[in-house]
Amino acid sequence: MSQLQPLTQLQQVTEPLLNVQEMQFWLNKAVAWGQADSPDAQKDTCLHLSRLSSYLQHLLTHINNMSSTTETMKRLPFLGQFLGRLCWNPYVTADDTNRRLLFQCLWGLYSEHPSNAVERKANQWIRKVLCQLATEEDDAAALALMKCVGVPPKDYHLKVLRKMVASLQENIGKSCNSLGKINQRCSCDSVLATSEACVPLVTCPEAAPLIGALLQRPATCVRAALSEDFLDALSSAYSSQSLSLEEQAVVSLWYHSLSSLEEAVLSLLESVLTRTGSTAQKQVAQSLLPKACAQHCSIFLVVNDIFRSFLKQTEGNECVKSLIQTFTSCFLREVALLQPQKCVSLKAFFPQSPQALLAPLLTLPSEMPQEAWKHHLNWLSSSLQRLTEEEEEGDGDGSSGTNGHHKVFEAWFLLVQCAHWVQVTLQLLGTSGPEDCGPLLWLLTFYHHPTNRGHHRALQLVHVKEAWDHLRSLFLVLTRPLPVDHLHSLVTLLSPQPQQPSPSPFLILSLLVNFAVFSQQSPSGSTQILQTVVDRSGLVDEAVYVLSSLEFRLNEGSCLSSDANRVHLRIEALQNTLTRMHAV
Amino acid sequence: MILLAVPPSSLLCVLPQYDISGLNSAGKQLLNFWTHGRMRSGRSGTNGWREQRKRERRQQWLSTAQRLSSERRERHMEAVLKNLASTVELLAVAAHSDVVEQWDKQTLSRAFHWARYCEHLFSRFHNNSAVRRVIEKQLLLTNQSLRAALPGYTEVSFLDLSRSQHHLLVGLLNNPKLPSSIMTTLFDSKSPADTKHIAYQDVTGLCSHIIQCKSACKVLSPLTGSSAVGADAEVQGVMLMERLDVLLSQSSEACRTEHFLDSVLQGCEGAAEHFCLVIAAALLTMKNSVAETASQDFLMDWLQKKHNMLRHMCSALPITLLIDLAKKHLKFRDAYCDVLKKWASDMEYSISEGEWVQTTTNPTVSFLKLTEHFQALFETCPSLRDDVKKELNALKISDGDFDVRGLSVWGDLLLALNL
Repeated sequence: MSQLQPLTQLQQVTEPLLNVQEMQFWLNKAVAWGQADSPDAQKDTCLHLSRLSSYLQHLLTHINNMSSTTETMKRLPFLGQFLGRLCWNPYVTADDTNRRLLFQCLWGLYSEHPSNAVERKANQWIRKVLCQLATEEDDAAALALMKCVGVPPKDYHLKVLRKMVASLQENIGKSCNSLGKINQRCSCDSVLATSEACVPLVTCPEAAPLIGALLQRPATCVRAALSEDFLDALSSAYSSQSLSLEEQAVVSLWYHSLSSLEEAVLSLLESVLTRTGSTAQKQVAQSLLPKACAQHCSIFLVVNDIFRSFLKQTEGNECVKSLIQTFTSCFLREVALLQPQKCVSLKAFFPQSPQALLAPLLTLPSEMPQEAWKHHLNWLSSSLQRLTEEEEEGDGDGSSGTNGHHKVFEAWFLLVQCAHWVQVTLQLLGTSGPEDCGPLLWLLTFYHHPTNRGHHRALQLVHVKEAWDHLRSLFLVLTRPLPVDHLHSLVTLLSPQPQQPSPSPFLILSLLVNFAVFSQQSPSGSTQILQTVVDRSGLVDEAVYVLSSLEFRLNEGSCLSSDANRVHLRIEALQNTLTRMHAV
Repeated sequence: MILLAVPPSSLLCVLPQYDISGLNSAGKQLLNFWTHGRMRSGRSGTNGWREQRKRERRQQWLSTAQRLSSERRERHMEAVLKNLASTVELLAVAAHSDVVEQWDKQTLSRAFHWARYCEHLFSRFHNNSAVRRVIEKQLLLTNQSLRAALPGYTEVSFLDLSRSQHHLLVGLLNNPKLPSSIMTTLFDSKSPADTKHIAYQDVTGLCSHIIQCKSACKVLSPLTGSSAVGADAEVQGVMLMERLDVLLSQSSEACRTEHFLDSVLQGCEGAAEHFCLVIAAALLTMKNSVAETASQDFLMDWLQKKHNMLRHMCSALPITLLIDLAKKHLKFRDAYCDVLKKWASDMEYSISEGEWVQTTTNPTVSFLKLTEHFQALFETCPSLRDDVKKELNALKISDGDFDVRGLSVWGDLLLALNL
């Protein structure tokens, strides 16, 4: 559209946006609500608050598109009446969004330089309404008392509000003694009414204790249900981050409202994926989700479902896997904190995982002596191998195809959750000889490539063994210069090769880093090897990531090493090298 | 020893050059003095200014503690009075003058800052009668000059200082020359992102927050129906008691405090029933100290002299509330009992209705209601039962000691109450 088009045509384009029927509908509503004196009007207002805010937003756009107030008044003659009525409905003005939009609409009608009597009158009216709303006191007795006693109105209203919130909170807190008898009256009747009335107050910080009390009320009685509108209002306030609830209340919110929980998990995933992996640990440590999961099994199950689908969609992205592992370890810590004495049966939290693998995988490496690690990993590796073989046999039969896939996926998912054992595998591979490496290499390969698409696993295993052999030879050689051909082959393996099914670069890089840290090679030698390989393959960022993840795990104490000091010095030296490379 | 935080004079370089054409000569003189006497060029960055002020304030405190002398004290007092006078003038200007057209966010924030200073002065010295008198004298002078300079000026009393921010707000919002940008700042909603900006946090969304608070109260009040007194009456009761505590602690003249209570009663002229609730709430507040208990006793003594008030309370308030009061205050119990007896004595037997009815008082109380009151009292205070029984018997005898219904209200009461 060229700028030469007359204004009227533009106006004609915007005309269909404003529906006369809609305006009439809302005007009727505003008239019916009045000042919301009757319970029906109050309920109806609360029910319509979210729709009202979208309509006000719509109106605001329309008002801003108009060239002058006179024009707006011509097109929407009832606008003033409509806005004016809404101003005196406390349920509308208590709600943050609606109040903001309402005032913005009023300001949209204000003319800086009024050109006629209509605009001047509108200006006067707007000022008057706003002044009255902010300063007038309809309770004459209260006003007189305030003057005599010397208390400012703002303080007075705040005190009254806090007192109301406190007394309602007390009421809500009273436990119900109805023992589930349906016909018996109990104090829970007020819970639904209170939650409905709190719909406009979800973002009011003074009302937060009451909302927290409503959310945390134990759901023992049939009548003690929370209004759906209330939960919806809470979850939309949560997504716009305008809620001010304390921790336990947020946990209860997640428990009650699936959409809020999903929102929280997705935002955690987003924040982790948009930043470098090393801060994933910090993000999870700061999040309230692990604690919430420990308190409510249902929350943990939902979170894991979201993780599963994310994992499938991103096809095993390293950051996501790392997040899942960190999350699960935080969760386990929280569970231990909650019930330190009781022997917790974690079966309820992991219903879909293969039960035989549950206890072995959930055990932390720090909970068993280092000498037992190898044996444990061998057992794990053979169990998982068996599972995958069963799946493949099932495939051949065609009988339990999907069921078999499901089992393998669940086993793999559990492994991802308990990836501390994969870390141990890497550590051991950095120091063991060729005779024990088979099961460990299989486990590592399975972690990075769980599916055996096109039956490539055997081939991949060969490549992984090859890489491992190269690394061994590189790091076992104690004299310089380094065997160049091994270096070269390693770099080739690290570069992406679309034709063949090649092992993930992360797998090989993890092996490399672990070798650099744990092998008997001299520090300078290790550094040089790492530097050369990383430089040639161009995987500096990934190497940094792997190294910092390793450091974090070691600091957590889950992979305790007897020569911890030496290891830490090694890591520091490697980090410095990589940082220098990064700078270049 | 008066330790005062004296804001440096640089704070007063707040306001830009005024357009003082709308004022008469006295007013112009006043404003000129105010503007030019204190204007100083210099940096006015907000955060740096605040930090600087805090530092200066702290420094002032320290130096004051180190070098005390009455001369210094006097000088402090002088400075305080000057600041007070300036702020009162500021409030007047905000309400009546055109200069607000040139105000911006910074000016607005500083104006509210000065209003808070006045409120601080009130809370600091409202129980110090010596300082209060000095302040009141200054206010007298300031009021005089402002009255001469600005038509339509309403005077500011010492008590009004406690509500300076409110006065400023009312003045500003009623001033037609207030720029719309200032108004939008006041009515803006604080979005979560804005809370990071410390500058002007006090004034942005000030009105929006007030409205939210008032509306939230209205939203929650239908739910608190179970409470006998109501949150607003409770808060007002507490406010009343706090003021009483202060008044009683500072002066030994009981009549001054009585005068205060009388003025409160007068102020609530049209809402007598609500005031009954407030008094009840005040008498029922928990008392932690001896002084606070003394204030409640004082209130009770005052109430005893207000017979109309008492009667109104007994007829308007729910019986459960009256019983709570009777349990807590012996004097109230006796006064309550007296009121009930007075009601009974006002009753006449109506043959057409076959019942005792009140003829003189308004609102009227039924015989049935009267017996309910007595029953409730007896349940809570069993000892009262015998005393009342004796009294009623004596009255019945003085009436002629009839045993027939309809002849003596006392006899019928005795029957109805099973005494």
